[in-house]
Amino acid sequence: MLLFSTCFCLGSFAQTYLVNGLVTDGSHHPLAGITVKLSKTNVYALSDSLGKFYFQLADGSYLIQVNAMGFHPLTSKIVVDGKAVQMVLKLQSHIRVLKEVTIKSTANEERMREESLNIEIIKADFIQRNLGGSLMNTLQRLPGIKTIGIGSGQSKPLIRGLGFNRVVVVDKGIKHEGQQWGADHGLEIDQFATEEVELIKGPASFAYGADAIGGAINIKAPVMPAPNSFGGDVNLIGKSNNGLFGTSVRLFQRKERLFFDGRFTYQNYGDYRVPTDILYVYDFAVGLHKNYLRNTAGGESGIHFNAGYVTEKFKTIFYLSNTYSKSGFFANAHGLEPRRVDTELHDASARDIMMPSQQVNHFKLINRSTLVTGNHHLELELGYQRNFRQEYNHYVNHGYMPAVYPATMNIPIDLEREFDKQVYSLMAKNQVKLGKHHLQVGLNGEIQDNLINGWSFLVPAFQQKSLGLYAYDKFKVNDKLLLHGALRYDLAQLNLFSYTDWFFSETASGSQEKLLRAANLSRNFNSLVWSVGMNYNAGLFELKANVGKSFRIPIAKELGANGVNYHYFSYEKGNPKLDPEQSYQADFSVAFKTEKWQARLSPFFNYFPNYIYLNPTSAHDYFYGAGNQVFEYAESEVMRYGGEAQVKYQFGKQWGSEVLVEYLYARQLSGDKKGYTLPFSPPASALFNLTYSPQKFLGNADTYFSLDYRITSAQNNIVPPERKTAGYNLFNFQAGMRLHIGQYPLSISAQVQNVFNTRYLNHTSFYRLISLPEQGRNVVLSVKIPFNFKHHP
Amino acid sequence: MKKQQFPLLVLGLLLCFSACKKENEAIDTEYPVIDVSAAAFPQQCSVIKRGEKFVFKAKLSDNAELGSVSIDIHHNFDHHNHSTEVNECNLGAVKQPVKPFLLIKDFPLSAGQKTHEIAQEVTVPADVDAGDYHFLIRLTDKAGWQTLKGLSIKIN
Repeated sequence: MLLFSTCFCLGSFAQTYLVNGLVTDGSHHPLAGITVKLSKTNVYALSDSLGKFYFQLADGSYLIQVNAMGFHPLTSKIVVDGKAVQMVLKLQSHIRVLKEVTIKSTANEERMREESLNIEIIKADFIQRNLGGSLMNTLQRLPGIKTIGIGSGQSKPLIRGLGFNRVVVVDKGIKHEGQQWGADHGLEIDQFATEEVELIKGPASFAYGADAIGGAINIKAPVMPAPNSFGGDVNLIGKSNNGLFGTSVRLFQRKERLFFDGRFTYQNYGDYRVPTDILYVYDFAVGLHKNYLRNTAGGESGIHFNAGYVTEKFKTIFYLSNTYSKSGFFANAHGLEPRRVDTELHDASARDIMMPSQQVNHFKLINRSTLVTGNHHLELELGYQRNFRQEYNHYVNHGYMPAVYPATMNIPIDLEREFDKQVYSLMAKNQVKLGKHHLQVGLNGEIQDNLINGWSFLVPAFQQKSLGLYAYDKFKVNDKLLLHGALRYDLAQLNLFSYTDWFFSETASGSQEKLLRAANLSRNFNSLVWSVGMNYNAGLFELKANVGKSFRIPIAKELGANGVNYHYFSYEKGNPKLDPEQSYQADFSVAFKTEKWQARLSPFFNYFPNYIYLNPTSAHDYFYGAGNQVFEYAESEVMRYGGEAQVKYQFGKQWGSEVLVEYLYARQLSGDKKGYTLPFSPPASALFNLTYSPQKFLGNADTYFSLDYRITSAQNNIVPPERKTAGYNLFNFQAGMRLHIGQYPLSISAQVQNVFNTRYLNHTSFYRLISLPEQGRNVVLSVKIPFNFKHHP
Repeated sequence: MKKQQFPLLVLGLLLCFSACKKENEAIDTEYPVIDVSAAAFPQQCSVIKRGEKFVFKAKLSDNAELGSVSIDIHHNFDHHNHSTEVNECNLGAVKQPVKPFLLIKDFPLSAGQKTHEIAQEVTVPADVDAGDYHFLIRLTDKAGWQTLKGLSIKIN
């Protein structure tokens, strides 16, 4: 802190004047993120989202240089003579294709203004600044976005309280298919390979298909390298709490038309630490060695290779990726089941992964082609992915399983569960501009093949085929008013395959029988959904409204589960008769924006005639359930409402503040749990932020110091088997700057998460039910060093 | 005109929403209780004899209405432990099971009860393995809340 305060003083010796500049392209569009340099000095500035930049300079004559990729270099002379100076830097682009890329920042603002649903767009700099244990963890700073997480490195998205199969994640145009239904593993996405994410808060089924009932997370394909470029970047990451170290290295090259872009990410972390040295799993005391949560270490790697051919009208790009992760589960409790462990063995090292543990590999090959002819914009995506997940555990004879694992078994003794999913996807769309109409028609098709293995049974193997067709029209009534209308029809077929236990159970009559857990089942579904919306943009005001119907096909687990989840002491029973889940939602958004103020209020109201959920009943099942509590998949009417509010205020050029508020209420209107909420309902919370961005800090640009204070309310609105969760206050601190080593900018970002090492429970965490506190104080340091082999001055 | 109406509309909606919240009827959020103190049997570290009968006794209660109760006796020769209790008992050495005792039984409770004193006779066969066992009690209430009690016992 002392260092910081001395630094602040350095800048203010001589009498200086404000140089107020604007960077635009040839057509006067402001350009954001352009580095403006004072010649022969180390002083830089970066243009903001409105294309503006500032210098604080003493009297004298200066040369200002701009060297931006895709534009001709520009040098401009300014003279400061006792008063403030204003200037405009107009850049001329030298390649047409690149122009598309560089004006993207304004394209995004336009995208948000022209979309009737609530969307948020975040970029790589947001990820770098708020880097969490996983991409979803990073995104949860946004209002309305939460996660269901386990451990320090895995989490799944929760958009306005809906998650699992109710949120679609699209990666480079293709729906990401993992084991979405599980709470104990994360999303197989490498956050370092993510450049831009679009989050749709609300029903987006018409464009993203079934499952986008709660929203969609669209991870955009990375921007192509500039023509005749050859470079890359190196990221180095370190985290104090779980001793994480990692790197992500990128290398790309592009001639005029051919390019490749490769990335390799590796991260390795130890057990994470919590602000307590004793835990109570039920009443059973579990001592923690030096605050480490036993066996929560892990590692992950990601390999990405993109290559393509680009012309002005036609592009075809292949995206190849493989992400792999291995991580341990907390050893003293697997799910809700307390476990006695050899503490000496586990505590010998905080970095080893013993049992129970899991391993996930996700392979993906996508081809994306686009063609522009006349006023048509055609897009085709083809994808293949394989998700392979294994859960390892010591064999424990639960229920009627034999006391000793039979030597004749083909399944490895430590393989508790295995899920092997292969998915073939196709997406095609055509966008056409017809006068004031912007029409989009599209098609999505998918074939899934799911196999299971392991000595424990939860979900049967299944195949799934689906096809969807949609049409979407955006009608520009006038400069202020946009109307939207969409219609979609889906067909799906789901085939579940029979499963018989490998061991004998005792029947009521005392005889022995291998139980048929799942019978063959074939179901066909179809659904028609629609959406209408409007945008009204009048100067400082912006208004959005959208009403739509979304749907979701029941998943194999909901139709065909019939096994005991021993980690939850639950016997989960599917219902083969379930109908597709339907949802009606109304979304609104009012926004107000001036140069200093930005405010947005986005309420929503949502109604499900048949929400499908796992209902814990009062019964125990002796036979199929081996004495466990019966959890049945059931349907109920559900009403939900809530919203987000965001207010930003910029006071002065260097200080900014932000308040983000989120609130959600859910209630079941019928069925066994009438009057209760839905599981995993996040409590209300508010985030207050204060950011100081000095114009010039030790001669370096892009410096920021930022403090987040989040207040989360208690969650007393619960449904079995949840527990009430107390409220908490958290502080996160972020700082960063851009240094220059030679001609290369080097970005440093630092964070202190959970500054006061607060002990708190997260209501939507997998470990909430056994009261495991969340990660304690964590210092995150990341450095990004771009490099360039060919530099055109 | 339009500009003035919309914020009002939003405010109105919000008021509607907050009004809805008030009609929240009382829902049961309490877990049922298994009382294994005093007259209950078995208790943590109890010893049961092979070839004999014992009576499983516990006091079950709930704020609203009890659901059902289930018991599960299984070996802990591998020291895997499901104990939910504060005290640990002295465990014998880890051993391979030969013919471990296994009992899974559920007992639905008749409707409308807030408290129930369960007393169920359990027979332990004479030829089962002696050693460390778990006695797991699972109790639900009508709303679906479940309470677990995992006791460590010995069969001699």
